[in-house]
Amino acid sequence: MKKKFLPDKCIILLISFCWLMPLVLTFLYSIFCEWTRIVPTGFTLRYYKEIFTDSVFLAALVRSVIIAIIPVVLITVLMLLVTYVMILYVPDLNQVVSNLANIPYALQGVILSVTIIGLYAGAPGWLSNRFLLLTGAYCILVLPYIYRGIKNSIDSINVKAMVDAAQMLGATKWRAFIAIILPQMKTGILVAMMLSMSMIFGDFVIVNTIGGSYFTTAGIYLYKQMAKSGQKSSSMIVVLFITTLIISGIMSKIEQKQRKQKGER
Amino acid sequence: MAVVKSFMPNEGMGFTLENYKQIFTKELYLRSILNSVWISIVSAVIGIVIAFWGAKAVYNLKGRWACIFRNILNITSNFAGIPLAFAFIILFGYTGVFTQIGQKLNISFLANFNVYSMKGLLMTYIYFQVPLSILLLIPSFEGLKPQWAEAVSLLGGDAKVYWMKVAIPNLMPGILGVFSVTFANALAAYATGYALLTNNAMLLPVRVSEQFVGDLLPNKEFGSALAVVMMILMVIVTTLTSLRQKKRG
Repeated sequence: MKKKFLPDKCIILLISFCWLMPLVLTFLYSIFCEWTRIVPTGFTLRYYKEIFTDSVFLAALVRSVIIAIIPVVLITVLMLLVTYVMILYVPDLNQVVSNLANIPYALQGVILSVTIIGLYAGAPGWLSNRFLLLTGAYCILVLPYIYRGIKNSIDSINVKAMVDAAQMLGATKWRAFIAIILPQMKTGILVAMMLSMSMIFGDFVIVNTIGGSYFTTAGIYLYKQMAKSGQKSSSMIVVLFITTLIISGIMSKIEQKQRKQKGER
Repeated sequence: MAVVKSFMPNEGMGFTLENYKQIFTKELYLRSILNSVWISIVSAVIGIVIAFWGAKAVYNLKGRWACIFRNILNITSNFAGIPLAFAFIILFGYTGVFTQIGQKLNISFLANFNVYSMKGLLMTYIYFQVPLSILLLIPSFEGLKPQWAEAVSLLGGDAKVYWMKVAIPNLMPGILGVFSVTFANALAAYATGYALLTNNAMLLPVRVSEQFVGDLLPNKEFGSALAVVMMILMVIVTTLTSLRQKKRG
């Protein structure tokens, strides 16, 4: 078959152009005073200054980061222990655990938050604490991704043989886990964690239904600002978007490094 | 597991038939369901059509172009939810850039385009479907062997025959898989619609959540019933596509 490169390049250019345009325009919108005609007027960085001195926004941003980190760390530690114990003692349960870990895939967005609210909102005492509910919800959300990351990296090493060897040399199973198994899984786990964090960071559904006015994250604050000031919210979008890009940039760096190491081996 | 536990009582509570009767007899909810299904199917299909050409271009070009394009897709696939809705308001809203251009140049389609409608919503949905679809379709394209194209041309077929009889049937399982993923993605999408149309959005996820939080008097049992309908829709599409995939072998 003849290879025609020109139309393919055109398609790529066209799609790239259309898909980058909203991004670029949002950025432009944030650095100009006025855009009521076709060409924007009055270059300014005022809005960035404004949001970085806005204590409410900064607090919301910090909240976003905290709520993105806590569930991911929790679930990672938990699932690491689960898979380690499973591989050493009960390898038969492999299928059961992976099926259970896949359940959250079926609980998309609104369904997850709504079932949690329905069950716990009226619960007494600390059970209905919104921060706790939100943490729980995010734990469920990221569980399948974390599990897959851990499983993929633990499957690529021979855990049993390594632990046996370590024990023969006098180490406990716990020490073998910390000193030998964990360092080898580091990159895979880190990538899964980053992915999960960027998912939580970009979430709006769950935090809006569960957190609502109790727990204002950057996303919620942005939604509230949208009606007030266009420029301010567009600069917020740029800041949030760059944060997400940094997370995914680190992620792909780690992945590349890993690939290179594998190639060297 | 907490998931299973959180499910049982809700479904149990929702299973008085009265709630379901309400869903399917009240105009508001029926419309929301139909709207959600419509926008999910249409955006998934259009997304796949555009993605098909995009993925084909990546498959043909490889090298630098494909690499850069992949990075662009990765970046744009992160742009969703509220920021996306906002960007489209800047572009097509009442004082949006394209609306202005349309008014200046007398292009009535642009000038009168209402982004706060189902049509506008559809555009935002297509926006977030395409990068995902392309990224998911590229692996299927990589499964096409160059020998097949050579074989077809040896036997006297042209490019059209190759694509219609060989390539597309081979891509079909991948395409169907992408369809079920993007359908579910659109059905569950909440933030974009919510930001664009606020609570007026006639969409299933918005209706579900408003039964639990928000201005309305909450009705958790009814909301659960709505959520169940939503899940059933997802299950139907997933099983349908996987059945088709199996048939194809």
